[in-house]
Amino acid sequence: MTSLASRPKPASLRNLAVGLVARAPASVQTKLLVAFLTIVGLLIALGGAGLIALSGINDRTDELIRLQRKIAAYRQVQHDTTGQLYGISTALLFADERMLDAALRQLNQFGYDLDRLEYVAKDEATLLGEVRQEYGRFIDVVTHVVDLIRSGHVAEARKMQLEQAGPLADRLERLTNQLVNLAESDMVSAIDATERTYRNSRIIVSAFAVGSILLALGLGYIISWSLLGPVTEIGARLRQIAAGDFTQRVRIANRDELSALADDLNRTTKKLGKLYRQLEEASRHKSEFLANTSHELRTPLNAILGYTELIQDGIYGEVPPKIGEVLERVQSNGRHLLGLINDVLDLSKIEAGQLTLTISDYSMREVVQTVAAATESLAAEKNLLLKTEISDNLPAAKGDERRITQALLNLVGNAIKFTEAGEVALKASAQDGAFQLAVADTGPGIAAKDQERIFEEFQQVDSSSTRRKGGTGLGLAISKKIVEMHGGRIWVESELGRGSTFLFTLPVRVEMPVANREKPA
Amino acid sequence: MSKRILVVEDQEDNRRIVRDLLNSAGFELIEAVTGEEGVQLAEENVPDVILMDIQMPVLDGYEATRRIKASAKCRHIPIIVITSYALSGDAAKAMAAGADAYVAKPFSPRELLAKIRQFTS
Repeated sequence: MTSLASRPKPASLRNLAVGLVARAPASVQTKLLVAFLTIVGLLIALGGAGLIALSGINDRTDELIRLQRKIAAYRQVQHDTTGQLYGISTALLFADERMLDAALRQLNQFGYDLDRLEYVAKDEATLLGEVRQEYGRFIDVVTHVVDLIRSGHVAEARKMQLEQAGPLADRLERLTNQLVNLAESDMVSAIDATERTYRNSRIIVSAFAVGSILLALGLGYIISWSLLGPVTEIGARLRQIAAGDFTQRVRIANRDELSALADDLNRTTKKLGKLYRQLEEASRHKSEFLANTSHELRTPLNAILGYTELIQDGIYGEVPPKIGEVLERVQSNGRHLLGLINDVLDLSKIEAGQLTLTISDYSMREVVQTVAAATESLAAEKNLLLKTEISDNLPAAKGDERRITQALLNLVGNAIKFTEAGEVALKASAQDGAFQLAVADTGPGIAAKDQERIFEEFQQVDSSSTRRKGGTGLGLAISKKIVEMHGGRIWVESELGRGSTFLFTLPVRVEMPVANREKPA
Repeated sequence: MSKRILVVEDQEDNRRIVRDLLNSAGFELIEAVTGEEGVQLAEENVPDVILMDIQMPVLDGYEATRRIKASAKCRHIPIIVITSYALSGDAAKAMAAGADAYVAKPFSPRELLAKIRQFTS
């Protein structure tokens, strides 16, 4: 890692580049096109540079081959000159006609070599002129020597061979040696040049490749960040909207499709926020109205129920059995109506967020026993067996005892209400810091498609059963809200014809109620 | 000597139900229609039990309970408050204000009578 002071610099440089691309007044398509074309252009340039370097190296190789040929030709000349001299010396020694012919043939061969020399060594014109001159003399001398041998003047021929042909051959050899040396030094410098060219080409091509890769990566990085930044920002705003926060606006530097999207999102957010506030207000009004109405309804109903009970108890005189029967009906209908009003009040309070939990220590065992005692007579009326099963290890609990009792009471009341024969079992246990309560019945069961719906307000499996069974269809909704406010979870396990089991979990110790996160629909 | 019960209740019907019930059970009844009147009648008569409604205009049941419990003369009198609704949280507030017991509306006259007898026998 580099020093801390130097770190912000590349980041700000990056931001500057990203910001610059983002603010460019071009569409995303144009930006992408420009970036891709730039990269393609770089690749083409890289290819071109490679080709130029290759052809440079090719030229150098041709030059080397040419020099190679030159040196080979020079060496041939050298070799032939030596051979010539040797042939003539031998011919002089034996004065044999066959050998003399061979020496003359070699002389012709030497002529060809010289022609080839002239072709490959055009550059060394002066040196070549000297060679040719010396060679002309050499041929004259050798021809003369051969003529002398043939005419029998061997001693004279030997003398001429020693005095003239020898030194001429030496000079020729020296000249060809000079040519070979020249060509070899050319060769050395050509090899050096080739190596230099190769090195340079390698540097140029590598630099081009590295440059192109860096530029392509940089472009890709900048373009993708200039797009990704706003997209991330818009995504974050959308999540805030989903969470119910309509106050934030998207601010992005782009001047392309993304800025249009951001503007649209901002407009939509504004509208949604306004609608949401209106809806919230309407919902609050509704809840307040319901709460007030419920209270107003309850007061006279209390009086009706009170008077009825006094009449039933004979405080206003003896009641004939027939009237007593009717009073019983008045009483039970009145209590039902009161139940409905209380449920509506509860739910409207919960929805208005006015319901607060009263947290205190309580005993889950006592809650279960209270519920069992309160519902025992209801079960007995329908000849149902009410069983309770409470684990011995229930820990000391903390929460809103009355609300929890209400939630459990709703479940057991429902179970008894919908079960015609058999039993209702109430079980309580604790595990991993949470209570688990289960209310199992042998009732008709609930189809899978209805199992979610029954926890919503005013939902019973079959609306005709509302009339038949009584109840508001609010009990489960209230139980669900109470359980959730405690941070628990409620659900049902059931199958048509096999009974239902309603279950809920509840943290053993609730210190703070979970905020009522239900938003009004 | 019959026991004297002070009823503090602003609603005519509720007063009448309590009156009919307690008279038939042989109690003597003192009636107050407002919280202030309730506090005043408690001081004057020192009844055996006070029945206190919570929801009353001007001086509500909590405050009336607090004032009666603050008086040296009346401190010992048991106060049974009538809360508006069992699950509303009124009961806890009333107990905090000094009430000795509570009955939730809709109260059954039978239950109310049983509660009063707890404090008078």
